[in-house]
Amino acid sequence: MKRIFRLAVRPPSIEQDVDTEIEFHLATEVERLMGEGMTPAEARRAAERQFGDRERVRAGLVAIDAETRRADRRRDWWGDLRRDLGNALRMLRRSPGFAVVAILTLGLGIGATTAIFSVVDGVLLRPAPFPDIDRLVVIWETDRHSGSFREPTSIPDYADFGSRSRELGQLAAFMPAEVNYSSATDDPARLPSLVITHQYLSMVGITPIAGRTFLEEEDRPGAPRVAMISEAMWVERFARSEGIVGRSIRLNDVEHVVVGVLPSTADFGTLQLLGAADYGGGFADRGGQRRVDIWLPLRASPATADRGNHPIFVMGRLSPMSTIATAQHELDRVAADLEQAFPDANDGRGVQVEALPDVVFGAVRPALGMLAGAVALVGLIACVNVANLLLARGTARMREVTVRAALGASSSRLTRQFLVEGAVLSGLGALVGVAIAAGALRLMMALAPASIPRVQAVSIDLRVLTVTLLLTAVVGGVFGMVPALQARWRGLDLSRSPGSSRGASRGREDRQFRSVLVVAELALAVMLMVGAGLLIRSFWELYQVDPGFRAAGVLKAEFQLPTSRYPQRMQDWPNWQEARQFTDELRRRALALPGAVAVGIAGSHPLESGFTSSIVVIGREAEAADWPEPSIRAVDPWYFETMQVPVLAGRSFSASDDASGLSVVVINAAARDRFFGDRDPLGQAIRLWGAQRTVVGVVVNERFKGLAQPGAPAVYLPSTQAPLGGGSLLVRATGDPLLLAAGVRAIVHDLDPALPIFGVEPLVDTMAGTTGERRFAMLLLATFAGLALLLAAVGVHGVLSYSVAQRTREIGIRMALGADRRSIRRLVLAQGARLVMIGLAIGILGAMAVTRLLTSLLYAVRPSDPATIAAVVVGLGSIALLASWLPARRAAGVDPVETLGEE
Amino acid sequence: MAGADLDLLQGTLDVLVLKSLSWGPRHGYAVAQWIRDRTSEDLRIEDGALYTALHRLERRRLVKAEWGVTDTGRKAKYYQMTAAGRDELGARTSRWTTYANAVFRVLRTVEG
Repeated sequence: MKRIFRLAVRPPSIEQDVDTEIEFHLATEVERLMGEGMTPAEARRAAERQFGDRERVRAGLVAIDAETRRADRRRDWWGDLRRDLGNALRMLRRSPGFAVVAILTLGLGIGATTAIFSVVDGVLLRPAPFPDIDRLVVIWETDRHSGSFREPTSIPDYADFGSRSRELGQLAAFMPAEVNYSSATDDPARLPSLVITHQYLSMVGITPIAGRTFLEEEDRPGAPRVAMISEAMWVERFARSEGIVGRSIRLNDVEHVVVGVLPSTADFGTLQLLGAADYGGGFADRGGQRRVDIWLPLRASPATADRGNHPIFVMGRLSPMSTIATAQHELDRVAADLEQAFPDANDGRGVQVEALPDVVFGAVRPALGMLAGAVALVGLIACVNVANLLLARGTARMREVTVRAALGASSSRLTRQFLVEGAVLSGLGALVGVAIAAGALRLMMALAPASIPRVQAVSIDLRVLTVTLLLTAVVGGVFGMVPALQARWRGLDLSRSPGSSRGASRGREDRQFRSVLVVAELALAVMLMVGAGLLIRSFWELYQVDPGFRAAGVLKAEFQLPTSRYPQRMQDWPNWQEARQFTDELRRRALALPGAVAVGIAGSHPLESGFTSSIVVIGREAEAADWPEPSIRAVDPWYFETMQVPVLAGRSFSASDDASGLSVVVINAAARDRFFGDRDPLGQAIRLWGAQRTVVGVVVNERFKGLAQPGAPAVYLPSTQAPLGGGSLLVRATGDPLLLAAGVRAIVHDLDPALPIFGVEPLVDTMAGTTGERRFAMLLLATFAGLALLLAAVGVHGVLSYSVAQRTREIGIRMALGADRRSIRRLVLAQGARLVMIGLAIGILGAMAVTRLLTSLLYAVRPSDPATIAAVVVGLGSIALLASWLPARRAAGVDPVETLGEE
Repeated sequence: MAGADLDLLQGTLDVLVLKSLSWGPRHGYAVAQWIRDRTSEDLRIEDGALYTALHRLERRRLVKAEWGVTDTGRKAKYYQMTAAGRDELGARTSRWTTYANAVFRVLRTVEG
């Protein structure tokens, strides 16, 4: 058999080949038959008969060959792809430095973007668990006198809103509470709970996963005790047992029948709502991540409830035709009517209607927006870096590319190879990135403040991965095209010889473009660093604030005495024997713990805002009309000493301030300034809770509303005259307060085994918890700024190294002409410095424009704070110059003989 | 032999075709000739069916085809067994032999 070469003119079609083959067969057979004596016609007929149905066979063969060709094409395609992949991987292995830097950079960029996108998606973008959540509104009450506009409501007011409003189709209310849960098997625990009106769940659109919600009859005073539990509690404490509905549980020493189990989404938004409220936030104010485990019916009677007491929060669903504006209008009128009808209770009280999504997401939207912006910047910097790297490598590979093109590689083939390389790079980067994102998310969730809604449910789910994949594909495609575009820029011409593609002028254009990219990177890094610096400074300032008490060394432990075993009846007030005995004994034993130097018990610990009540100064009653309500804080006589709260005037409480003597109070400096001005408060009498009390002392302001809030007025009562039914035990220790925790628990368990003790932590931890959001934002932004700095430094180093490598010949000439090493070094450093200075300038301008967006997170620091900007300039400048040092040294080390001899 | 036994025939044809290529590349006519000779024309096979078998074997990559020129100067398509084809031939041969021997043993049984 002799092979023939197919001319690359036009290969015969499948049909032609089949015809040729069949014709050959028939012709040969005909020859043979004629050799045996047949006539040509006979032979032809015989051959064709022997062959079979020619047309059908032909069609069959053509079909088979078409399939074969298709299969072959597919195999070739896959084979080419595998080869391209192999080549790409091999090329990466050959330049490990480039590979590591590029993949890590991409990984950081993709990882950061994925992580933040997961958060934004999980928190903001995912549909809320309440259907039609845009129609749900929160109805706050406002107080004209104190200027607050997110206050809870009274029960009679809530009933009146319901009966008098048409704009609101449905209305419901809830209030936060904490209940003591006791069982035979578990330790007593204090569980966050929501006390709701029976319509609440159906209004927001949540259905129980087992059992039912509350009936109207169960929401009346005196109704049999029922409760609902959360799904998580069902799983954790009852192992998801079938018989949960109808089972009885013990809350606050009273048996409640479980009528239903609610999904984990049922308490959506309540934490944020309670957190946004001016007071009455209950367990939400405690910080940390809270989950509502128990649901109880409100069992209130509007007819008998006190209109001057505001415990509940009201939510409503707008009627189909209503808007927030119309609802606001209507309720303003209702509030005005109520103010007139009930001047004592409702004086100054108005209404504010706010959309529920705004309340839940309002605080977090700007922060997430900032994060998204920051991560976009980091991603951009990462991309710029990788682009620069690719450009540098592309230039180095120009020769290879030219040769391949000359050897016949089609432009589509080359493009595909570049795309595969880009895909491999971004694919590997994505793998690294997803791993980084997973780790980063876990870290973030551990640190994230509870005020971020749904933060626990954030994960890298399918949606996020899909977006990441798309991002990777786009990035891969873009980066794949860089070398291809580069080739086209240079007007890559097959007729040119490989060497000439490294023209000097082309090199300079390239270098300029890369320099522009690096300047952009530096500017972006500056912006991030300034932002982070401002937040860090705010945080620092915040921590410098004197909270009015000394938290270091104090252990806090909270408890609530159930009225079943510690009666706290109004008629017995202030003689609550059992409660008094408990707290006295608790204090005595705690003081006896090794390492304890002081013990105090307070109704609210120094980081709790507690509750407020109105006071008047006797003799100046009229002035009190527009006074804000001070925080009322009951403390035992040793509290101020334990917390090291300085006394400014008069004295603090002593054990002799008991029920038989004069009723006394101590006020803080803010109360003195607000209620007494320049007058001396000592000896003055105030009326609080219907009784006359004399001011005997003034103490420093405790920042119980958080470090960022300056002192709010507070009035302290001695626990001997205002007994405590619960509160915080505060133990000051010589060493680490945490060491006393076990001892404290043991004491409580010994005194009352069924009493839960909770919130046991060093007070400094509680304090750290109050700055949770700031810290979180600061940590994130600082991380991004650090990343940006690292990437920018790598970028500067890269561009200068490349420039030095390209200019070795020029350097050699200079040295031959007499330039010494130092001046060469200076040359390169100057080049670096030029880049850095331009980058810094642009970056600072950009930062000043952008940091204005951070104002809500700043404390005592201006967005254009010069100290921060100066620090960033120095920091970035020095790192960048350091990054320039290495290439500068390498330039100085160039041997002119070598380089000049090279050409 | 056409009609209902066509599928069975196709499988058998594959084996015969593969065997015919055991000694080197052949064009389709030569394969047909060789089979005709070896079976002493006991098996009547339509040439069209043979070519269908050859092309199917090519699709399954058990043979590969190349255009060449005969001694007489005609353009012909030459078929050659691939390594996979050789394996298939071996497997099929042993299967066929086992099958045929088993049937033969039954049919040769003399009553008694």
